[in-house]
Amino acid sequence: MNQIQIMNNIQKNRTELASLQNQAATMKRVNRPSDDPSASAKILTNRTDNKNLEQFDKNINFGRSFLEMTESALSQVGEALVRAKELAIQGANDTNGGSPREMISSEIAQIYNSVVEISNRRLGDRYIFAGHKTLTAPFNKDGEYAGDDGEIKLQNQKGQYVAMNLSGERVFQGRGATTEGYLKPPSDTPQSVEEVQKFKLSEADRQFQNEQTADNQLETRGPASVGRIQRLGGEDPVNGNSGVNIFAIIGGLDAALKSNDKTGIQDALEPLDQALNQINLARAEIGGRVNQLNATSEGIQRNIVDNKVTNSQLEDADLFQVMTELNRSDTALKGTLESSHKLMSMSLLDFLK
Amino acid sequence: MAKIHALMDVGKRGMMVSQSALQTTAHNIANKSTEGYSRQRVDVVTNPPVDDGNFRIGTGSNIGSINRVNNPWLEKQIEREGAQMAFLQGQSDSMQRVESVFNEQAVKGLNNSMSEFFNSFRDLANSPESTVARTMVRDNANNMIKSFQNMDGQIDAVTSDLNQTIKSGVVEANGMVKEIAQMNQKIQEVELARGTIANDERDRRDLLVKKLAEKVNITYGEDPKTGMVNITAGQTAILVAGTSSSELSTRDDSLNRTQITYELSKGGTRVDLTDQFKKGSLGGAISFRDGLVSDLKSELNELSYNIANEVNNSHTEGFDRYNSEGVHFFNLPADGNYAVADLSVNKAIVDDVGRIAAASKPNAPGDNTVANLIQSLQFKRVMGGGQATFDDFYNSKVGQIGVATQSAVHGLEVQKNIMDQLSSTRESVSGVSLDEEATKMIEFQKAFEASARVIKMADEMFDTVLNLKRL
Repeated sequence: MNQIQIMNNIQKNRTELASLQNQAATMKRVNRPSDDPSASAKILTNRTDNKNLEQFDKNINFGRSFLEMTESALSQVGEALVRAKELAIQGANDTNGGSPREMISSEIAQIYNSVVEISNRRLGDRYIFAGHKTLTAPFNKDGEYAGDDGEIKLQNQKGQYVAMNLSGERVFQGRGATTEGYLKPPSDTPQSVEEVQKFKLSEADRQFQNEQTADNQLETRGPASVGRIQRLGGEDPVNGNSGVNIFAIIGGLDAALKSNDKTGIQDALEPLDQALNQINLARAEIGGRVNQLNATSEGIQRNIVDNKVTNSQLEDADLFQVMTELNRSDTALKGTLESSHKLMSMSLLDFLK
Repeated sequence: MAKIHALMDVGKRGMMVSQSALQTTAHNIANKSTEGYSRQRVDVVTNPPVDDGNFRIGTGSNIGSINRVNNPWLEKQIEREGAQMAFLQGQSDSMQRVESVFNEQAVKGLNNSMSEFFNSFRDLANSPESTVARTMVRDNANNMIKSFQNMDGQIDAVTSDLNQTIKSGVVEANGMVKEIAQMNQKIQEVELARGTIANDERDRRDLLVKKLAEKVNITYGEDPKTGMVNITAGQTAILVAGTSSSELSTRDDSLNRTQITYELSKGGTRVDLTDQFKKGSLGGAISFRDGLVSDLKSELNELSYNIANEVNNSHTEGFDRYNSEGVHFFNLPADGNYAVADLSVNKAIVDDVGRIAAASKPNAPGDNTVANLIQSLQFKRVMGGGQATFDDFYNSKVGQIGVATQSAVHGLEVQKNIMDQLSSTRESVSGVSLDEEATKMIEFQKAFEASARVIKMADEMFDTVLNLKRL
């Protein structure tokens, strides 16, 4: 009887000691699912959450650098437009008539080229103003757009997306700056196969309608009207769109300067203001998005810390407690061994000599 | 009147009784550590007295019988609880193996590789033009497949281990069955022919029955006339009938699961008894293998199939870098005979990551609509009839396994306590106590000495009588 009991007791003590030793070595309370089943499922969920949050933060940083790049490009365009307006005011002044207008024109031509260069800016190997066609230069030197109006959406939270690009068509050509006559890309990102299928159909439809609208516009904005820059200001007679084509305005101003057309130069002043407005509007939108991303990022950072704290509470061992229990178990084992020795060595036979 | 030679006779018998008692004591001491041994006692009875005039005078002692000290009800209880203990022991051992397959506290497992798979699609959505992001998607898909296949392989290993347990268990059981039949024969010979109790053979047979019950569930009964036990395994297999025995055998079914069969008559029909075994270590192995382990395997199948299928459905909606429509991302069999081991990434994608479709329209390298769609699958409730996401499904499995392991280990501990209790009780009833044996030894040694003195005294009495005349 004694032997079985003694063996069991020693075994029990050793098992307990081994488990505590394991906790002390790994510093974890949960070393296998059966240590705490509900906690171990929760731990896995939290780990996935944290990985996703870290990924979202990565997305946000990526999107932010894209938006900041766009912002710095647009601020350069803004500066160029301000300079163009200064030059236009100078050119409109009769005291500057004759050759100075040609001199001014050469600087305007320079500004035109730099705006074309800015509109073809790249981040890595992607053109930032090309919509979805990120691998082809969106603008040629005539200011014709080769990209599309696709929005590149980034997930910044579970189920939430932020577009990180602005299409060049909208920023530089004023297309879709207001809602009239132009169908904007949808703000929702499809979340299922059915939604993607619908999305693909509606996108094709939208594309078609927008092309038709553009075809109508061509009549009033064809090459024949390039010199008549007054047509570029104010609202479009066909669709009421108040967006302006920055390339056309600067190009028209250049032409007016070259041809010494004083009224033409004066007429460029208001559209230039509109262009600046258009750029500032785009910058404001970018600022808004960056702010939104910053706010989300802060929330994510907090969540990551919270999650880590929760997981630590779930799986980490309380070292103080482990050490105390380790000591206690150690004492218990020693006690068992000692008392076993005494119990087992006692026999009547020892006394029969 | 008493006679001197009768006195000598009493002394002689006393010496013989003490000698037999001492031999039994020695036998007890020698078998102190023999498993299943029951301590034996010499029943000393008085010899029939003789009439002596008006009195009846005693004629000393004799050995009535040598009995084993044994409580059959206790033995029966030990047999029953031992069977349960073997069942739980097998279950908790296997459970711990399965648990280690699903343990992500120590190593990175499926939870991790699923996260990385979906996150690589998020990276692809960030820069759909990048070949690096595409390569990461492919590699992470392969890693996830490897995780699935690794777990599947380990579950298969557990299954084949359990098969092995069943096979070797059947071999051991057959050996015991044969020995029990031999013991039956010996006991019958000893008890019927000579009318004495076959203590040691009975101990051995009791032990074998207990061991057999630890393997398979048996019902048994002792024939009160012959003293032989008959044993039936499950409900059908008559393993021991008197002195004859028959064997269980095994065969593998189409799913590579070892089944237990029994031949109804020599060379006759083989019946499959696998479902009848619900106790003992074999019953434990069978119920664990055909229950939890096979469930887990099919659930892993379900999970991996659904991930692959959902990704395929979304991926074929997209357009790749070459402006053609998305191919199937994962190879899935059209006939529905899906197994985790066959899962692989489409060769077209393995060879050229440009075939990964991220865009929703052609000629749009910056379009990430489909990449976003695929990464959002991680949050889609697909599993369990739209109740759970992939992660939920897997994590809850880990939780379930944890609970099952915990309760198996706990159950075993409780059962161990019960068994300890019973063993202690048996030890106090049937076990050999050295202290007690030492006491008996002194007692019988003294009795032996005293009996010898009686003979010596009778001898002196004879001398006295013979010398009467000379005096």
